Amino acid sequence: MELAWYALLGLFFAAYLVLGGYDYGVGLMLARRGPAPGSRATLTALGPFFLGNEVWLVAAVGILFGAFPRLEGELLSGFYPVVLAALTGVVLVTAGVQLRSRPASATARARWDRVVVAGCVLAALGWGALLAGLLQGVPLSGDGHVVGAGHLATPFVAAAGLALLALVAVHGATFLTLRLPAAEAPALARLASGLVPAALVAVAAATVLGLLSDRVRAAVARPAAAVLLPLVLVAALLAARAALRRGRAGTAFAATATALALPAPLIGAALWPRILVSTTDPAASLTVAEAAASRPTLALLGWLALPLLPALLGFQAMCWWVFRGRIDGRAPVYW
Amino acid sequence: MDPLLLARLQFATTTSIHFLFVAVTLGLVTLLVGLQTAGYLTGKPVYERLTRFWGQLYVINYVLGIATGIVMEFQFGLNWSGLSRYVGNVFGAPLAIETLVAFFLESTFLGMWIFGWHRLRRGVHLALLWGVAITAYASAFWIMVANAWLQNPVGYEVRDGVAHLTDFGALLTNPTFGMAFGHVVSAGLVTGGLLMAAVSAWHLLRRTPDYALFRTSLRLGLVTAALSVSMLQGFGFAQFGPVAQLQPTKFGGGPDRDALVTDWTARFGPGDWEPPVLSNVGLGFMILIGFTLGAVWLLLPLLWRDWIIRLKVPLWLILLGLPLPFVAMLLGWIAREVGRQPWAAYGLLPTAQAVSPVSPGLMLTSLIGFSLLLGALAVTNWVLLARHAARGAHDPALGRPPAPDSDAHHQPVFV
Repeated sequence: MELAWYALLGLFFAAYLVLGGYDYGVGLMLARRGPAPGSRATLTALGPFFLGNEVWLVAAVGILFGAFPRLEGELLSGFYPVVLAALTGVVLVTAGVQLRSRPASATARARWDRVVVAGCVLAALGWGALLAGLLQGVPLSGDGHVVGAGHLATPFVAAAGLALLALVAVHGATFLTLRLPAAEAPALARLASGLVPAALVAVAAATVLGLLSDRVRAAVARPAAAVLLPLVLVAALLAARAALRRGRAGTAFAATATALALPAPLIGAALWPRILVSTTDPAASLTVAEAAASRPTLALLGWLALPLLPALLGFQAMCWWVFRGRIDGRAPVYW
Repeated sequence: MDPLLLARLQFATTTSIHFLFVAVTLGLVTLLVGLQTAGYLTGKPVYERLTRFWGQLYVINYVLGIATGIVMEFQFGLNWSGLSRYVGNVFGAPLAIETLVAFFLESTFLGMWIFGWHRLRRGVHLALLWGVAITAYASAFWIMVANAWLQNPVGYEVRDGVAHLTDFGALLTNPTFGMAFGHVVSAGLVTGGLLMAAVSAWHLLRRTPDYALFRTSLRLGLVTAALSVSMLQGFGFAQFGPVAQLQPTKFGGGPDRDALVTDWTARFGPGDWEPPVLSNVGLGFMILIGFTLGAVWLLLPLLWRDWIIRLKVPLWLILLGLPLPFVAMLLGWIAREVGRQPWAAYGLLPTAQAVSPVSPGLMLTSLIGFSLLLGALAVTNWVLLARHAARGAHDPALGRPPAPDSDAHHQPVFV
């Protein structure tokens, strides 16, 4: 039963990285100072999906709290600075995107654009750093607490943050290629495929630093999964680039979505059966089973939440279906 | 500095800001459901215009509810890891249910509702708003279940120092839950109703266009506020019984309180087991405000022949009264939560044991950073709300029809 909930947690966080990932990638595009597409068109592309995307994070943390309470406490407090950064980013993006077009003045809107960009950078860096921090283990003491926050100050964590930032940028640009009017697609495809090399460099740098890190090598229980991760990322990025060059935005988006979906499950698999690996006291490591809530709680959540899962996914799918396709003259404009 | 104090200050700040916005959300969404349903059934355009105008204010207000809500959710893990460690098996369940069953759907529905004007069939679009409202109430329900459990832990047993769930039904029948839920929901309705009445009153006083439209929303807001203020008072006073019985240390002294403090001293060691002296001072003021708001009933007879508008003074009174429900809400909230101290879960987990072992420097950074961030966002949001309220209902961005001749436009029309 713990495994099922662990998989569900992974699914929700992965879905957040894919869906929230293109929110942040699209948000980063507001930093561009070009003629077309303007900020308003960029946000209109995001339009109806934005609220439904961000909420995967809230649900993932809800599952974390309900099904893995011990992990929730230690993970969030043990990764305090990077969670703070990610959270600040999420708040800035949430408020910025929704409020950006409420004032009528161009200067106020430009200011909100900068707020959104800053938020997207912080969120991507923060979540990338958190994932890397899991992979390199934490100083977990015998009483089960993470000691200090200095364990996060490593080159690997920094590189992984930058790698996620580059990945969401590619993902967001690819989403816009798929979603904005066809006339603008070629320019956006060039932008997206131009970002791919930067993402490849960032992923390569994070991989090398991870391989060089004693902590990562010690924490990873299944090297196969950990090695698979950078390979899949590189393959997905190359596939996206090839598809963008051939003008196949849908295929490219599927490739970048895969790139963002896989880190969460592969990191979970690489550390399994542990989730918080102690760098100081191997016996203090926290396994998934230990982190899980007790049986009655998991059973209750299963009875209450699982029957609703099809409804949750169904309404999300309804949103994607209703607002599918490129935006045109009939697209509702609000953000 | 003391991490406990910092963590408590941060929780108080975030929750207070959260409360100011979600109460409006809860009240306005109920009124919006009424307006859009009326529009659907009667086909009168005035209801669509009302829905767009109030819907836009609702959506702007909603932003801060989400932003502060996310920070609250993370704060449990960031600052209160002891809460998840010792009572997470029980306390985490309603919160997880809230995010999955309620908030997840609420946000998905709202996204479709905002962008679904003129795109979805009217019935589907209306159903989405109903979905938003129902899930908003479900959210409040589960959050209050969780909060009521902290007030009066039930349905658990402690094994190896950790609480385990034994009876989920007990969480739902918790005596500290039902009346408090009714109280909070009524407070949201009073706030939403009074906000609607006050904004309408401002327009009627300024003699802006759309007299008929704001006359309608004035009446709707006022009647809603009046009906719900009576419920608010009823649910409020109904809580004194259970609270006095289950939380004797909360509101005042007596033998029960002394006996409980003696018991805690025996079980948890010597310490200050009573809430701060000033914790229930605010309660008196809240009750005073509650009675003052009850005077809304006196304004209802003036709806006859629009005397309320013709006399003008009542409109001014409504405008002046707008801050009252917000102040009362914060005072009531502080009385409920500070009165629970020094416990995170009453009689089970002391607050000091629930706080994360995080360095005070980090916690101070977080407190200052998020207080400034959320405070600035709250003020900005209120300014935007006030501007949009003052702009009137002639053409809100929400639900603006797309360009009539869509074939000629391949680009959306941006205004």
